[in-house]
Amino acid sequence: MTGKSKTSVASILPGAVTLVLATVYLIVLLRVENQATILALLGVGIAAVVMANWLGWFASVGQSFGEREGPLGLLAVGLAVVVAGYFHGDHFVLLLLCTVLLYTLATLGLNLQFGFAGVLNFAGASFFGIGAYTAAVLNEHTSIPHLFVLLIGGGMAALIGSLLLLPVLRTRGHYAAVVTIAFALLFKTFLEVNDLLGGPQGLQVKSMVLFGWSFNNNIEIGSLELSFYFAYFIASVLLLVGAFILVRRLERSWIGLNLDALRLDETAAQCFGLNIVRWKVTAFLLGNFLIGVAGTLQGFVTGFVQPNSYTFADSLIFVSILLLGGIGNPWGVAVATIIVVIVPEKLQVIQEYRFLLFSSLVIMVLLFRPDGLLPRSVRNYFPGWRP
Amino acid sequence: MKKLDILAAVAVGLLALSASHGPTTAKDKVKVGFIGSLTGGTSANGLGGRNSADLAVRLRNADSKAKYEYEMVALDDECKPNIGVQVATKLAADREIIAAATHYCSAVAIATVDTYHKFRLPVVVWGAVLPDITYRNKYPEVHRVNGTMINQNELNASLLTKLGYKRFAVIHDTTDYGKGHFKYFGEALSKAGGTILGSFGVTSDQQDFTAELTQIKSLNPEVIYFGGLTPIGVRIRAQMDRLGLNNIVLDGTSGIKSDAYIQGLGKLAEGSLSFLEGAPAERLPGGKFFLEKYNAQNYPNPPEAYGAFAFAAMNLILDAIEAHGPDRKKVQEALNKTSKANSIVGEITFDDHGQNTVPIITAYVVQDGQWVVWEDSEYAQGKRKLPGQK
Repeated sequence: MTGKSKTSVASILPGAVTLVLATVYLIVLLRVENQATILALLGVGIAAVVMANWLGWFASVGQSFGEREGPLGLLAVGLAVVVAGYFHGDHFVLLLLCTVLLYTLATLGLNLQFGFAGVLNFAGASFFGIGAYTAAVLNEHTSIPHLFVLLIGGGMAALIGSLLLLPVLRTRGHYAAVVTIAFALLFKTFLEVNDLLGGPQGLQVKSMVLFGWSFNNNIEIGSLELSFYFAYFIASVLLLVGAFILVRRLERSWIGLNLDALRLDETAAQCFGLNIVRWKVTAFLLGNFLIGVAGTLQGFVTGFVQPNSYTFADSLIFVSILLLGGIGNPWGVAVATIIVVIVPEKLQVIQEYRFLLFSSLVIMVLLFRPDGLLPRSVRNYFPGWRP
Repeated sequence: MKKLDILAAVAVGLLALSASHGPTTAKDKVKVGFIGSLTGGTSANGLGGRNSADLAVRLRNADSKAKYEYEMVALDDECKPNIGVQVATKLAADREIIAAATHYCSAVAIATVDTYHKFRLPVVVWGAVLPDITYRNKYPEVHRVNGTMINQNELNASLLTKLGYKRFAVIHDTTDYGKGHFKYFGEALSKAGGTILGSFGVTSDQQDFTAELTQIKSLNPEVIYFGGLTPIGVRIRAQMDRLGLNNIVLDGTSGIKSDAYIQGLGKLAEGSLSFLEGAPAERLPGGKFFLEKYNAQNYPNPPEAYGAFAFAAMNLILDAIEAHGPDRKKVQEALNKTSKANSIVGEITFDDHGQNTVPIITAYVVQDGQWVVWEDSEYAQGKRKLPGQK
């Protein structure tokens, strides 16, 4: 017994240390405002990652995550709360963290479609927008409890997404991509000419209210004042944890196996008796549901929905998060979202040159890690089992 | 391990760099904000505005009578509403920032007014022209130094009908900016006695306008009214040339009044019209002063059309802080009461919505590769004629 617990402690250590170091780094990065410090810090971060790669530390980290994912996941959630707790009064940082969590959630949905089933979706931001608009409309005209609004938002995204089912099922590869791109353009134009939905000026979204408590008020516990974004942060964390577990379980189950088979070789999968249509539909709708839920909460968080926030370019951001993180790996998605959302924001200090620097950074990453930062590993059904 | 040593040396060097700070001064430091589109298609205007606001701050800091030392925090909204709300929250949540000059893009400005209201940050809009920004709500925090598209279009319609043009086709982008312009131009034109033969909404990132222009060709208008920004303005004018529509006037809005429009088109820009609030910097009371100072700073980009407004907006903010101290509430009240304030864009008086009520509008035409004030141009004097002018 003691021997087993010893090895489990040893195997959890590299992952835990990495998580803690990353958290400390994130807090420092979010804290500093000085131009030179930020650039130096980013340089140090890149150097540290390159160095760790060089010294082969990532293999043990990967192994640690592979074997002890549960406890490490819990630790990650705890550390996210620590980061938010550290910035408890800072509205802006919490808004940024909410954005990171919700983008991660949405990209998990995309991961399901893209990474598992191989169904291309270049309209991620549109389904995100459907959720946000659902929040705006339901909040304005009905008194449906907001917890249900989240689910309805996801449901609407899945429902409207089902309009695309027929063309997506009848096309493959690049052609399916074009169908979704067309939908993204159509969606934005539809919103712009639709005056009922506010036209190009968009709609205001009122505060989220759960159990009679309005999310848009600052929270006061004794003398401690928390930003009102803290409540949204907690809600985002809960949603993300739920989605993460769902995606992980799906991947582990025979559904995930079917989806993988579908992606790798449709014909072969069909020969083995898999119902292609059924699994494509499952992945597409479920993915859109997750994206829609994320969008709904995002609508509440920003308090404003507008067609310009859900353009094709925004869909590409989701896709680039997925590619940067490593297709199929939910952990990679989380890391990539932090990079894609927080780094351009911190680069505000260099103003007009920031996207130049940020884009070169992304290209460099993909140059040296063409499979993304954390490529998906082979399924591991038995923790600790090594072939 | 040799590699590690090198890395450590580099890290130490970087840290040392970051530790060096500028000299400190005796005056209290006060922070003010600026938001504009510093990247993307409208970055020319955003950068011009940023530089102009920066100029206002630098001049104030150089003034020995100023009570405070100012520091401007400039942020990029990318002309996207979601990013705009994000950076607006960043500015507004920072209690050290007393007030801000914000936004060139209407779509962003309309999305962020709620944020400023929520966090009680007084702002002065320096470039966005959508009327709703000040008029949809009555937020005491929101002010605007430039006029709105209503004023622009009244002058536009009356000038063109006076020149004898009656038949118009409209291309507008489907953002607030384009749709708003189309709406107010339509109202102004029907009063002035012209007719709109057809209107075409296009997305603001559309590349090809052959379909719209071919249809317009068959409608045979005398004028194409274009409500949109420079990037698609350039494409439309260039594609008009390809389709042989050079006997039609391109009647633009404030969105194409940028040097980038002329640079993008070269000779084809000749005869394009644009309407802009205020008067050109050279003609304004303080315009010569502004341009002199601007050029003295050697900014890499020109101030563009709204630079003078950004300068005036920032100056209003600095004046209020000088008079009432670095306190958001007091600065906001001072801004609300602004009446007949002298500025380089003329006198500024805010109405109860914070909107400047003295809208000077000036018409411009491209002549020999420059935007020339209509009244000064050879077109107005009759030496040259616009396409199809009688």
